[in-house]
Amino acid sequence: MKNIAFGQYYPARSPLHRLDPRVKIILTILYIVCSFLCKNVWSFALLAISSIMLIILGRVPFKIILGGLRPVLIVLIFTSIINVFWTKGEILLLEWRFIHIYLEGIFSAIFIIVRISSLIIGTGMLLTYTTTPIALTDALEDVLSPLKKVKVPVHDFAMMMTIALRFIPTLVEETDKIMTAQKARGADFSNGNIIDRVKALIPIIIPLFVSAFSRAGDLATAMECRCYQGGEGRTRLHVRHMRFKDFIPLVLIVVFGTGLVLLNIFAPGFTMS
Amino acid sequence: MSRIELIDIEYYHGKDTPYEIHALKNINIAIPEGQITGIIGHTGSGKSTLVQLFNGILKSHSGKVMIDSEDIWQKPKQIKRFRYKVGLVMQYPEYQLFEDTVYKDIAYGPKNMGLSEEEIDNRVREAAAFAGLDAELLERSPFDLSGGQKRRAAIAGIIAMRPDVLVLDEPAAGLDPRGRDSIFNNIREYQKTLNTTVIIVSHSMEDMARLCDSLIVMHDGEIAMTGSCDEVFSKADELVKMGLDIPQITKVMQLLSEKGIDVPKGIYTVEQAVEFLKSLRKSKKEALQ
Amino acid sequence: MEEAFIKIENVSYMYEENDGFAKIDRYAVKNVSLEIKEGEFVAVLGHNGSGKSTLAKLINMIYTPTSGKIYIKGRDITDENMSDEDIMGLRKTVGMVFQNPDNQLVATIVEDDVAFGPENLGIPSEEIRKRVDDALADVGMTKYANHEPHRLSGGQKQRIAIAGIIAMLPECIIFDESTAMLDPVGRKEVMESIIKLNREKNITVLMITHYMEEAALADRVVVIDDGRIISDGKPIEVFKKEKELRDCGLSVPQCTELVHCLSENGFDIKGECVDVVSCANMIFEALNL
Repeated sequence: MKNIAFGQYYPARSPLHRLDPRVKIILTILYIVCSFLCKNVWSFALLAISSIMLIILGRVPFKIILGGLRPVLIVLIFTSIINVFWTKGEILLLEWRFIHIYLEGIFSAIFIIVRISSLIIGTGMLLTYTTTPIALTDALEDVLSPLKKVKVPVHDFAMMMTIALRFIPTLVEETDKIMTAQKARGADFSNGNIIDRVKALIPIIIPLFVSAFSRAGDLATAMECRCYQGGEGRTRLHVRHMRFKDFIPLVLIVVFGTGLVLLNIFAPGFTMS
Repeated sequence: MSRIELIDIEYYHGKDTPYEIHALKNINIAIPEGQITGIIGHTGSGKSTLVQLFNGILKSHSGKVMIDSEDIWQKPKQIKRFRYKVGLVMQYPEYQLFEDTVYKDIAYGPKNMGLSEEEIDNRVREAAAFAGLDAELLERSPFDLSGGQKRRAAIAGIIAMRPDVLVLDEPAAGLDPRGRDSIFNNIREYQKTLNTTVIIVSHSMEDMARLCDSLIVMHDGEIAMTGSCDEVFSKADELVKMGLDIPQITKVMQLLSEKGIDVPKGIYTVEQAVEFLKSLRKSKKEALQ
Repeated sequence: MEEAFIKIENVSYMYEENDGFAKIDRYAVKNVSLEIKEGEFVAVLGHNGSGKSTLAKLINMIYTPTSGKIYIKGRDITDENMSDEDIMGLRKTVGMVFQNPDNQLVATIVEDDVAFGPENLGIPSEEIRKRVDDALADVGMTKYANHEPHRLSGGQKQRIAIAGIIAMLPECIIFDESTAMLDPVGRKEVMESIIKLNREKNITVLMITHYMEEAALADRVVVIDDGRIISDGKPIEVFKKEKELRDCGLSVPQCTELVHCLSENGFDIKGECVDVVSCANMIFEALNL
């Protein structure tokens, strides 16, 4: 139970793992924007290639990526079907009773699939697979720090995230212990109807809450004893300085976006309707 | 005769994951009936895993757990029957309390067994008495009790199921000397009165020496030693090698034997030491005269 | 005479207790006076609920005394008009390590947790780096700098908690039953760290405990029962009064008990002992007729 993996972080040594997490957050946002810039067959092809390159760069096995796509599979299939059957165009491929399938429909289905998968692969490869949750939290605090000026409690949110991440394994372990203790008293979590099962959860949820609250109280006291007073006047052990090479990916993504726009304009091909 | 028997047990934590740990290796033991058996070993030696096999909370990857000569996993659907037969009090059991009164909480187990109201009432009161819990506390909220009282309420919750075998994992952890002594006295009383089988897991050698009739020593997922307290503590050197703490008295006796005094092995209580030293002085005096 | 590092003057602390029927005011600490010198290693011994933990929390300003004064380095900490900065300064001077190792670590990486205190104090990052490295080395946890706390043993977590306090460069550390939830190995690790800090860094240590063997390692033992100090002196002097200790729910180390029993049985043993080596020596001499 101690070894539960939370988040999707995949430990590996790769250029993407080494990249400054703040840069990765900005890259992700820009990559999402880029995926919406695509208009025709050539720009979508470039987007698909870029996704594959990201996977290779991040050294995350394809199997894991496919696993990550599984939850959206139904959405993908559903939207492609709608696109195939309902898009009207000029080149009719098949006509049978009320069903008309146009080449344009096939292409829009492919475009949708490429766009959604690229979105998922992009955020996965740039953020969740290659950045530990804690690095992500720290980076978010940095990226959002301009909002502190308008009184958004960025530091407090980041602190809450950190504490949540710290205590998830502890609470999971605790849930396991409580379940075992109640099972030893004859609790049954797997049989009976819905009402029985919900009832069976009470002996777990109550002790879990009681313990979580007492932990929270203890932690607050301990933090106070370690002079915690909120974000004001705090320094950091790890100060990340942006180096020259951290800007290269930012330049690359701008080039990439420009490339997509140029392909949209100058390369003729099927355009998304 | 023994109530619990383990045959060729192998158990892995996180089987078929990169974190796989071989937690129990080739375990073959029989727990003697009507006695207090102690299981000792340091953290990670597998002792807590072992006791969770007794009542089918965990299922071993190979081997058999027999209770009253019956394989507990013969009919997996009936595993609950064995959870009532072998009552398990977990480490720091306070966190299992959840009802709004102590009474209801102790009644949780018996209720799951489907007993009648009257029977439940009998059992709750009997269990509270055995666990040393004042009857007037029964109507209080378990969350208002002191640490020691919560522990007792949790133990009563298991005793109320009237198990044939009572297993306690570190029942005195975190308690002060008075609390420790009194919990152990309650356990001994309980065992004597009902003549049941009791198994206690602990790493406190001094407590185990006082309480247990026989000991099982675990090391690295294996059974390292079994026998009476005298037999086990006579191998003090081996215990130390396994990273276990031996009673202070045993240490003093070891030091005396290093100084050239002929000390018999297996002295681990103050009373034994005083007896031995008195007889030693007597024989020395006689030799002088 | 040199000024006391911590000076407690006639301090009482009252709290409200609900005994199930009505709310009653109770004294957790009653009219306690105590002086602790700089560099001293003091153990505060008492059973659960004796008021020993309350005393610790009063010194660290988690609680405010109902009456009486507490001075740290001559500064009155019960003064209500203290500024936040003064409070921070005092908390930095007197650090506190708690009982449950899980509930005092904040960060998901060991070194980030140790850095938490210095970060709060606004120390420049190069200086934090140095302090974190030094603190981890002091408790022998350098190897684990990049580990996740939840994968460590209880003793290791507690040493990380200690490192987190040392990194604030305190002059005094209060240990509030910091070993109560650990196994014998973890207890030993933590005790070794505490002794090292006291001896090598001259950090004043106030250790709240109910383990006699640990109290025996201190320079001075203060016994608290029912919110009052009932005994104060060197471990040897305090453990001499075995009966009084037992009356208030405590015990004495096995070897102290052995020596007492032997002298009652007519052995020629005069002194007192709290550790196995001197115990063995004393017995050896008494046997040399």
